[in-house]
Amino acid sequence: MRWVCCVLLLLVTGVAILTSEESRSRAAITLSSADVFTMDPQRMSYMQDLRVARALFEGLCARDNTMGVATPGVALSWELSADGKTWTFHLRPDARWTNGDRVTSGDFRSAWRRLLLPDTAADYTELLFSIRGAREFFAWRSQALAAYVAGAVHDDAAAQALWAKTLEKFDELVAIRAPDDQTLIVELDNPLPYWLDLCAFPTLAPIHERSLAKWTRLNPTTGMVQSDAGWTKPGVLVTNGPMKLVEWRYKRGMRLEPNELYVGANAPLASSVEVVPIEDANTAVLAYESGSIDWISDLTAEYRADLAEASHRWRASHQTEFDFRIAAGATVDEALAALPAPDASRGERRDVHVVSAFGTDFWSFNCRPLLSSGRVNPFADARVRRAFAQAVDKRALTSSVTRLNEPVATTLVPAGSIAGYTSPSGLSFDVVRAREEMASAGWIDRTGDGIVENAAGEPFPPVDMLYMTGNPRVKNIANALAAMWRDALGVQCELRGKDGKFAKEDLRRGNFMVARGGWYGDYADPTTFLDLSRTGNGNNDRAFSSAPFDALLESAQRELDPQKRLAILSEAERVLVEEEMPILPLCQYVTLYMYDPAKVRGITRHPRLDQHLSQIRRVHDAPVSAMP
Amino acid sequence: MMHLIVRRLLQLPMVLLCVVVVTFTLVWLIPGNPMQNEGRQPPPEVAEAMDRQYSLDSPVAFLGGYLAHISGVGWVLGWNETPFDFGPSMRHPDWTVNEIIRAGFPVSATIGLGAIAIALVIGTVAGLVGGLRPGSWWDGATQSVALVGISLPSFVTGSFLIVLFAAKLRIFPIGGWGSPSQAILPMVTLSLPFAAYIARLLRFGLIEQMHTDHLRTARAKGLSRSQAAWRHALKNAFLPVLSFLGPATAAAMTGSFVVEKVFAVPGLGRHFVEAVLAKDITLVMGVVLVYAALLVVFNLVVDVLYVWIDPRIELAGAQAR
Repeated sequence: MRWVCCVLLLLVTGVAILTSEESRSRAAITLSSADVFTMDPQRMSYMQDLRVARALFEGLCARDNTMGVATPGVALSWELSADGKTWTFHLRPDARWTNGDRVTSGDFRSAWRRLLLPDTAADYTELLFSIRGAREFFAWRSQALAAYVAGAVHDDAAAQALWAKTLEKFDELVAIRAPDDQTLIVELDNPLPYWLDLCAFPTLAPIHERSLAKWTRLNPTTGMVQSDAGWTKPGVLVTNGPMKLVEWRYKRGMRLEPNELYVGANAPLASSVEVVPIEDANTAVLAYESGSIDWISDLTAEYRADLAEASHRWRASHQTEFDFRIAAGATVDEALAALPAPDASRGERRDVHVVSAFGTDFWSFNCRPLLSSGRVNPFADARVRRAFAQAVDKRALTSSVTRLNEPVATTLVPAGSIAGYTSPSGLSFDVVRAREEMASAGWIDRTGDGIVENAAGEPFPPVDMLYMTGNPRVKNIANALAAMWRDALGVQCELRGKDGKFAKEDLRRGNFMVARGGWYGDYADPTTFLDLSRTGNGNNDRAFSSAPFDALLESAQRELDPQKRLAILSEAERVLVEEEMPILPLCQYVTLYMYDPAKVRGITRHPRLDQHLSQIRRVHDAPVSAMP
Repeated sequence: MMHLIVRRLLQLPMVLLCVVVVTFTLVWLIPGNPMQNEGRQPPPEVAEAMDRQYSLDSPVAFLGGYLAHISGVGWVLGWNETPFDFGPSMRHPDWTVNEIIRAGFPVSATIGLGAIAIALVIGTVAGLVGGLRPGSWWDGATQSVALVGISLPSFVTGSFLIVLFAAKLRIFPIGGWGSPSQAILPMVTLSLPFAAYIARLLRFGLIEQMHTDHLRTARAKGLSRSQAAWRHALKNAFLPVLSFLGPATAAAMTGSFVVEKVFAVPGLGRHFVEAVLAKDITLVMGVVLVYAALLVVFNLVVDVLYVWIDPRIELAGAQAR
C-alpha cells in the first residue's frame, strides 16, 4: 500500500501548489457580465466589450449618462459648416494617453483609417461610410488585396509597396484631415444629424499608433496588415479614457483603475472596478446574494420574472412616497434607496430593475420567392406576412409567456426612443383582419378540417420556425406563436431549434419560413434599425427587397432639413410595418439589472444603456432623510 | 521496460497527427464561419479578406500551415516566433491558443488532480467496506451511494453543494478561482462519479480475489479476513481501478464543462465546449491535442505501474525485447 500513499501524497502536493495563488483585495465595484471578447476598439461589437471600452477610451465626444446626448470628449468644441457636411473638431490640449503622450488628431485619423481597412475585420466599418471617399477607399483596398493574392509576387517588399500605396490612397480619397495636432476636419457625403452620436461610439475611439505598431506586421502571403494578439493586454495597451486596464485574465475577469492622467468630464468615482464573467445564471445570483458582486449587468436566471415581481410588489407598496420623491427631483435610484427597506420575510426586494433597452425583439419572415428546398415560399406574399403579424397577441406574450411585461412593439424603432421621430402606428392584434388577409391571399379552409388551403386544394405548408437554442425565453415565445397561428389562421407550425452557428447558417441560406431575430440600435437615428431592411444589407437575413422603401431611405439621406428627414424615415418605417411586414416586431427588449440602489449608484436607466463604468460608485452609509 | 516507454513516446507524434487530422475534419464540417459574430455582420469584403488571412478558404492550406506551426517546423523555417505555436484563437482575437491553454490547463489540472485524489480516498474506502462484507448492510449502503454518484449529473450535485455549503452555510465561496477554498467544492463535485466507479470496481475485484486459491491458502494459514485482504487481495483487486485511473485522470485534468460552468471556474473544459459551439478551429484543436497527449502519457504511466504491481504481466512492448 506504500505506493497508494505515495500517489495520494503526490496528488495532494500538486493540488496545493497549483491552488496557492496570492489572494487579492476586492475591488470597490464588482460586476458580472458576459465574457469580454476583445479590447481592440476598432474590432469590437459586443455590448460587454463596448461597456469596458467606454471606460478605457474616450472618443471625440462622450455621451451624457442621463440625457443620452453627445457631450465634449477629447474634442472640447466643434463647428459645422453651413451645408451641414463639414465638421471641424478642436481637441483639448491636455488630453493624454496613459503613457503620457498627447492625444492628437492624428491618433483619430489613424484609428479611423484602421476601421476602414478590410484587414481589421471590423464589424462596424460601415459606420464611417458617410465620410466622403470612405466607401471608395474600402472598396479600393478590398480589390487591391484580392489582386495581390491573385498576383504572382508574395513577399515582404510587395506587401510593403501595397501598404505604401494604401496610405497614399487614403490621403487622396478620404476626407479626414488633421491640419494640426489639435484640429480634425471631417467631410461627410450628406448631412448626418447623428454624426456627433457616432463620434461617441467606442469603435471610433482613437488608438495610440506607436504602441500598436510594435504588434502589427504585414502578411506577405495576403498583403494584409495584421495586429497580433497581445497588444490589448495590461501593461501593453495604451488608452486615453478615464480608467486604465490593470489586469485581464482570460475568462477570469478584468480590473480597471483610475487613469491619473485623464482630464475630462468622466473622472472615475470608484477606486477600482472589476468585471467578472459568471456564465451560469444561478451562480451569478448566488454570488450577488453572498455580496461578492455588486451588480449583475444582465440577469438571465430562469426565475428572474419572479425576482422582478418581488421588486415590483415592494415598490408598488410604497408608490406614493416613491412618486413624491421623484417629483421632488430625486433619481429613481435615490428614490428607491430612500424608501423603507424591503421585508425579506415577505419576499420583498428592491434590487431587481427591469429597464427598457434600445432594441426590438422580432421574428423574421423569409421574403425569398422560393424556399431553400426549392418549394414556393408562401411568405413571399406580403398579405400572408401581414396576416401572421396581426394574429399575434403580443400583450399575452409579454404578460404570460415572458412574464416581464416588456413594452409591446408594433414598430421596429422603439417608440419614443429618438427625439423628434414620430413612429407609425403599425398593425395591431386583429384576428378577423388577419383571416381576411389570408383569404385575400387565397388561403381559405375549403375542406372544413381547420387547415387553410389554396385554390388548388393544397394545404398551407407546415410553417418552419427557426430559433436559436440556449434561451428558454425564445423557445417559449416560439411555442406561443405557433399556438396563436394555429388557432387564428389554421396553419400547422414546426419548431426547429438549432445552436447559434447552425441557426446562423440556415438564416444566411434562407433555410426557414419564419425565424427568431432581434436588433439593438447603435446610434440615435431610425436608420440604425431601418437599414436592416435595405436591399442587400449584410444583416438583411430575410432577403427583403422593396424599391419604394429603398427609395425613401435614399431620399432621407439627401434631405438637408432634419425634421423633414425624420418624416421621410417615418414613412419608410410605415411601409415596413404596415404594408410589407418583413419583420414582425414583438416587444421592446428589456434588460434586468440586479443591484441594490442603497449601495451602488451611477447605473443609468436611459434606454441606450450606455453604462459608464467610471461613473459607478459605492454609496457610503449616509442617513436617509425621512419624508416630510 | 525502457523499450516500452521509448516506443510509446516515439508513437506519440503519430497519435497526435492522427488526432489533428480527424479533429480538423470534424471541426471543419461544422457550418458557419468562425470569424463571424452571431449578431452584427461585417461587409462581405471583410469576411472574404479574413477567410484569406486565416486560410479559411482552403482546408488543405489551413491544415498544412497549422501542422507546420504546431510541429515546430514553422519555427525552424522562421515563420513564427514560438516553436509550438497553436495560433491565435479565432473567436477571441486578443488571445493566442497557447495563452488560453496556459491559463486554463493549470486550473483544470488542479481540479482534476484534486478530484482524483478525493475519488481515490472515498472510492477505496467504500470499495473495501463493500468488498470485504458483500451483501451486508454496509455494502448495500455504499453501493447505493455509488450508484447515485454515477447517476446524478454534475450540475445537480454541483448546484446542491453550492447552495448548501456556499449560500446557506457560507463555508466556501460561491465560485470563481484564485484561492484554495474556491477549489474544494468543484473538486468534490467532479470527484463523485469517479469515486463511485472506483468503489464499484474495487468491490468486484475484492470479491473475486477473496475466492481465489491463494487467498484461501492465506486464510488457512491463519490470517484473518481483513489481514488476508489487506496483504494479498487488495493489490490484485486494484488492477482494474488502475486501468480506469489512467484515462480518468486525463479526462479529469482536461476539465469538465459542467463543473467549470456551475462554479464559474476558468478551466479548459469550458473553453473547449464554447470553442466547438463557436467553431473556433484553432482552440478546439489545441485543447484536443493536449487531451490526446495526456491520454497517451497517463495510459503509459498505468501500463508501467501494472508491470510494477504485478510482475506476471508482460506488456507487448516489454515482450518485444
